[in-house]
Amino acid sequence: MIHLSNIVRLYGQGENATYALGGVSLDLPPGAFVKITGASGSGKTTLLNIIGGLDTEYSGKAIVAGKDLKILNDRELSGFRQETVGFVFQHFHLLDHLDALQNVALPSFFAKDDRPSPLLRAEEVLTRVGLKKKMRSFPGELSGGQKQRVAIARALFNRPRLILADEPTGNLDTQTSSQIISLFESLNREDGLTVIVVTHEDHLFQKASRSVRLKDGRVAEEAPQ
Amino acid sequence: MTFKKFRRFTVQNIRRNRKNFIFSGFGIIAGVSSFIFFVALGNGIKRVVAREIFPLEANRIQVVPRLAGFDIPAGSREITAEALGRFSTIPGVAAVYPRMKLAVPATMALEGQRFPDEDLARIARLPGISPEMVESVRKLDLWMEIMADGIDPRLTKSDILFGPFQKPAAGEPIPILISRQLIEIYNASFAKARLLPPVSDILVPYVPAVTLTLNDSYVVRDLAGLKEHVRVKLVGLSHHALLGGVTMPLDVVREINRRFAGPKAAEIYDSALLEVVASDKLSSVQMAIKDLGFKIDESQKRMAESVGLAVTLVTLGFTLISLVMVGVAAVNIGHIFFMIIYERQREIGLLRALGASKRDIRSMIHGEAALVGTAGGAVGVAVGTAACILVNWIAVKLLPQFPFKPHQFFAFPVWIFAGGIALAVAFCLVGAFAPANRAARLDPASVLSGRG
Repeated sequence: MIHLSNIVRLYGQGENATYALGGVSLDLPPGAFVKITGASGSGKTTLLNIIGGLDTEYSGKAIVAGKDLKILNDRELSGFRQETVGFVFQHFHLLDHLDALQNVALPSFFAKDDRPSPLLRAEEVLTRVGLKKKMRSFPGELSGGQKQRVAIARALFNRPRLILADEPTGNLDTQTSSQIISLFESLNREDGLTVIVVTHEDHLFQKASRSVRLKDGRVAEEAPQ
Repeated sequence: MTFKKFRRFTVQNIRRNRKNFIFSGFGIIAGVSSFIFFVALGNGIKRVVAREIFPLEANRIQVVPRLAGFDIPAGSREITAEALGRFSTIPGVAAVYPRMKLAVPATMALEGQRFPDEDLARIARLPGISPEMVESVRKLDLWMEIMADGIDPRLTKSDILFGPFQKPAAGEPIPILISRQLIEIYNASFAKARLLPPVSDILVPYVPAVTLTLNDSYVVRDLAGLKEHVRVKLVGLSHHALLGGVTMPLDVVREINRRFAGPKAAEIYDSALLEVVASDKLSSVQMAIKDLGFKIDESQKRMAESVGLAVTLVTLGFTLISLVMVGVAAVNIGHIFFMIIYERQREIGLLRALGASKRDIRSMIHGEAALVGTAGGAVGVAVGTAACILVNWIAVKLLPQFPFKPHQFFAFPVWIFAGGIALAVAFCLVGAFAPANRAARLDPASVLSGRG
């Protein structure tokens, strides 16, 4: 599913240049549940952005779902993100002027084809994450856990094969965090999705099939759990 | 993104930022409305110039004799019946209308007390005629030397006439036409100061017949020959009539000239109006006329062009001011888009993560700009049109009468409304160009992680 070979990502130039990733190589099979941990600034988010095709300013080779991301043009890369990847962020990034249903259906605006009923699909995925009753609620009316569920539903909208979650429990309390973790586990187990979760808290996501620990932009430890 | 989705998405975004856009929309509305106002005013004035002051007829050429010159053989510069025949054989010429000036001086005495009482009573019954005006007509004692000419009656076929314009039967008055331009000057300047009734088409049938004295002059004394009194009756107003005199049927003038100035005076015309079948034949006909030794009289055309040019330049000046206003509004729109993009950069990053390409983002911003331009332009067109209607109403009602004062100061060519909206859209798109590119170039990874 994911093949990363000697990925180097540099921020800044000359003397001010800092390595976010200093030669990361990874092979992750389809259906894996991967937890990426590490201290703040260790390169976790950068790695996730490269896998998701959001960041292309790297050297090395990143092949995801059979596509070499480095050689794709902007349109192809957008298509890749649309069809293959679902992003979940720590700060949810929901649009306040849209209700939950419309937020979830947002990816349909950029789909190449004119799907007959994007709102039906949005309803379907909201039901999947247990938020059917909150479909018409606006983000301001939802709790942190509910917002994250809406964000997960939005990530599922285009039926991706890969879910990339960046600190998905970073803004949630312990109880809500465990509910969200269970949801990710269920998506991996029941829906067969490859899930990569970035977290700085080692004790979370105990059921991940694989754990990668980054330190100073390098893989410090990689082990099946 | 399909067009339907694109439209929905754009409308959604505009709604969200409506306060910002309403503010910048004021500039667009002001610019477009002033554009509509000045262009419509310029067109209205040009229309008056072209139709009333210097009426130009497309596909018609005024031919005059060429002035004597060393290279012109004697005789070739006179427009005779033979020359008219030659004109009519030029390919592309549809009709030839000769014109002949009266070869003898003539005077006219407008003595009000001589007008029949029943004629004055009929005038008094007309709308807009006050008893004071009728009294002024009765007291009128005006003596003037009159210039006159004769035209082919076929030329008057598009004029509204209140009697036949042709050689009259014995004992009947000679029908005459007066220039519409002359009437404008009379109504606005002469009549008003003397409390005389204004002359318009509806008054023409009520103007009494008056006496014209032929072979009489207040300028030249001791004219040889006998004076002759003829009665003339106004039958209509025409652009083809002599500007400073009266115009009779050509046959009448020809006969008077023969009687008073001899047979040659009845055979030489002063000008001829040539009607050309189509405008693409104009230049070839003009060439042929010049080859025959005649001159094209373009003084009317040149005057119309000069005035038209002056009006165009003034209109252009004001239009440029409008464009500057729309331009400033476009710069303002650009700033607002920069601000909005800054505020929405995380959202743009999110859209990129959800599958939007750079092109989608650029289109989204351009779409919003086009929508703001369309809405601002449409309101600007409406406001501009309303301002034209209001100003026209005020001008017609409150401005004092002046020569050629139109009933409609503004003219709206068909393109003006679409042009106003297109202008607004174009300027908004220009204003949004740089912000759209900036939005498209935003690095989604940076803005989503808060580094952007």
